[in-house]
Amino acid sequence: MEILAVKDLKFSYPACTYTALNGLSFTLDRGEFAVLCGATGSGKSTLLRMLKRELSPLGTKSGDIIYNGTPIDKLNDKVSASEIGFVMQDPEQQIVTDKVWHELAFGLENLSVPPADIARRVAEMASYFGIGSWYDKDISQLSGGQKQLLNLAAVLVMQPELLILDEPTAQLDPIAATDFIATIKRLNQDLGITIIIAEHRLEDVIPVCDRLLVVEKGSLIANGRPENVISDISKRKDIMYGMPAAARLYTALGGNSRSPLTVKEGRDYITTNYNNEKRTIKKEIVSNNANIALSFKDVYFRYDRNSPDILNGLTLDIKEGEIFCILGGNGSGKTTSVSAAAGILKSYSGAIKVFGKKLKEYKNRSLYKKCLALLPQDVTTVFLRNTVREELKDAGASANDLPYDISHLMDKHPYDLSGGEKQLVALAKVLASNPKLLLLDEPTKGMDAAVKQNIIHILSKLRNKGMTLVIVTHDVEFAAACADRCAMFFGGKIVSAGTPDSFFSQNSFYTTAISRMTRGFYDNAVTLSDAVELCRINGKKEAQNDSH
Amino acid sequence: MRNFSELNPIAVSIYFFCVTGIAMFSSYPPFMAAAISGGILFFIARNGRKHIRSHFFFLILFIILAAANPLMSHNGVTVLFVMNDNPITLESLLYGLNSAAMIVGVLYWFRSFTQIMTSEKLLYITGALSPKLSLVISMALRYVPLFKNQSKKIKDSQTAMGLFSDDNIIDDIRGRMRIFSILITWALENGITTADSMAARGYGICRRTQMKRFSFRKGDILLLLSALTLTGITVAALGTGKLEFKFYPAVKYSTPDIYGIFGIIAYITLVLLPSIIEMEVGLKWKYLQLKI
Repeated sequence: MEILAVKDLKFSYPACTYTALNGLSFTLDRGEFAVLCGATGSGKSTLLRMLKRELSPLGTKSGDIIYNGTPIDKLNDKVSASEIGFVMQDPEQQIVTDKVWHELAFGLENLSVPPADIARRVAEMASYFGIGSWYDKDISQLSGGQKQLLNLAAVLVMQPELLILDEPTAQLDPIAATDFIATIKRLNQDLGITIIIAEHRLEDVIPVCDRLLVVEKGSLIANGRPENVISDISKRKDIMYGMPAAARLYTALGGNSRSPLTVKEGRDYITTNYNNEKRTIKKEIVSNNANIALSFKDVYFRYDRNSPDILNGLTLDIKEGEIFCILGGNGSGKTTSVSAAAGILKSYSGAIKVFGKKLKEYKNRSLYKKCLALLPQDVTTVFLRNTVREELKDAGASANDLPYDISHLMDKHPYDLSGGEKQLVALAKVLASNPKLLLLDEPTKGMDAAVKQNIIHILSKLRNKGMTLVIVTHDVEFAAACADRCAMFFGGKIVSAGTPDSFFSQNSFYTTAISRMTRGFYDNAVTLSDAVELCRINGKKEAQNDSH
Repeated sequence: MRNFSELNPIAVSIYFFCVTGIAMFSSYPPFMAAAISGGILFFIARNGRKHIRSHFFFLILFIILAAANPLMSHNGVTVLFVMNDNPITLESLLYGLNSAAMIVGVLYWFRSFTQIMTSEKLLYITGALSPKLSLVISMALRYVPLFKNQSKKIKDSQTAMGLFSDDNIIDDIRGRMRIFSILITWALENGITTADSMAARGYGICRRTQMKRFSFRKGDILLLLSALTLTGITVAALGTGKLEFKFYPAVKYSTPDIYGIFGIIAYITLVLLPSIIEMEVGLKWKYLQLKI
């Protein structure tokens, strides 16, 4: 039975020359789990917002959106507010009140549900989500993952039939994101809620979905079971970047029927179809004997006299002209370490040296002139002006000197840019001081796969110009693709470090999907191209075919 | 069996307004004495030996307030001594002591009140008046930490980008002003998303109700009734005009009659009520634990 039908939906924003949606049609059955993917600016958000009447953008619209047999414009206010739930990207900004319990009750209070019923439904929801232990807390004390879970619970308490999620995990770390996706799946299975979710991080969500919709420039270019859709679009490299590693490996090896989606399926596919006589590929080891750009020696830091050490005897040397990736879980002290290197936080013991000089010796903030720069995690904090042009002028940067092009963004407000564009503009501003050492905190957060490729490209260009880059990231695949050396942070210090090749092939959990897929079969396949090369060298097994 | 602080916030606030209202609007010295001693007793019953510094602060305040009146006002017939050609009189000293007791007493009560009334309880009370007002307060309370946090984040990233190019005050102020201006933009931008999220969850389509986390139970009704009755008796006694005390020109008071005595007893009981409740609960717990 279909719950949602979109028929020939067209939409354009006022004073805009192009159409945002270009005649989309699809239907969703009750209880389906659909994933919507597409590059930034392809019209995903516009489409999702059109489905929720209260959030529909202003503009010219034609076509129909029918929910449960009724056009959504004609739905009763209460039905529209409660039966169609919407979760947005930013966990922080969606929250309205100051207490967890109040946020849960907010929607029901709006619908003038009697207080006794509110209490019951809120209690039920808190128990289902395991919110019980932080039910009485202030929202400012929650982590990002908890906030997003709360947003989800606050929508679900209104008992929606259709749940729309617009990149809900973009601002979360990978572990919180995986948990969030698992929760969505549970809702779909336990309660039969119909789900449509837009995502960039497809690794977790595609294996659990029933339907994959691909949008490009406001049109639907694919619609169907994920394994089939992937074979259909296997030629489209830009879209494939975002797909699960198993699917990318499958299509790169020329597969064109049912694509494997999970690590397990990918592993089965390789082991049944390919030989492994030659298990390693040679990689050239570049030895770097350059001077040390940044060094930590026995650095200790804590926020408070009575709190635990965040940096616990950190010792680390980063050489000039390398890209050094620091990986690690939440709260392991990664961000703290770069803040300390940038002189924002002061360690209470140990020495941090930048180009051989102690931080203290950089008098009068000379550290930030032609020496060191930090690109923070939340790049909106970099902007102070109303247009990108003013922003760059302020910093003394010229758009022509950049290794990438942002000329089309010059007259926009920095806050109106997409995540990836913001990152590029912020980077331009940071580069204006000609730093020799650039620290980046989570530069790929909330980015789609194609933009990520671009960032990798830009960062290696900067490195080739002689800049030293230190990148703090959760993103294992990103680190594997761009780092010269990687290090794992745990408990306030480095526990292991090495070239991506040795680093990731030694790790068994904290490693790339490709490495997990080929573990024990090949020895040092870390990235997709490694695996493809190894498979090609070894060749297909005899008397085997694709349909196992 | 609940502590005084755990009783229904409406009952508790009405109680506080009764106690402090009588203290502020009558200037009858026995009432002032009752108010300040009851206030201190309750504060200690709740906090024990903590907050020694508050006591110290209140003591100094009391001395300053008590001394200020005789230094400023020279009414009264009994001159104690002359200072800088100004007479210091007994009457104005007593008057000073009386008003200092009133102010410090009321401050002690408010101190306990603010400790008990968490933001959640205040929201419950305002919600009983208007659910919309309550929501606005709740949103404001959320914005404070959010704003502070963002301001610190912006400051840190700008520092690392060399916004504060020199170590001097003028540059610091200029930088801070720019941060403040972008903070406003950020807050407005933030507000749009919050407004969307509110609309998406049906804000404004019908009259709001409010989830109630507190109910009126036997103990709450008992507190409310006894507070109102005792206040009624006290106010009635004040109304008979027998509880009079004049400081100027000379101290003059009438001996209270039977109604007056009832009034005084009623106010003393009112003032001791929370301390009695705390003590009773404490004893009951001890007894229960002995049985276990």
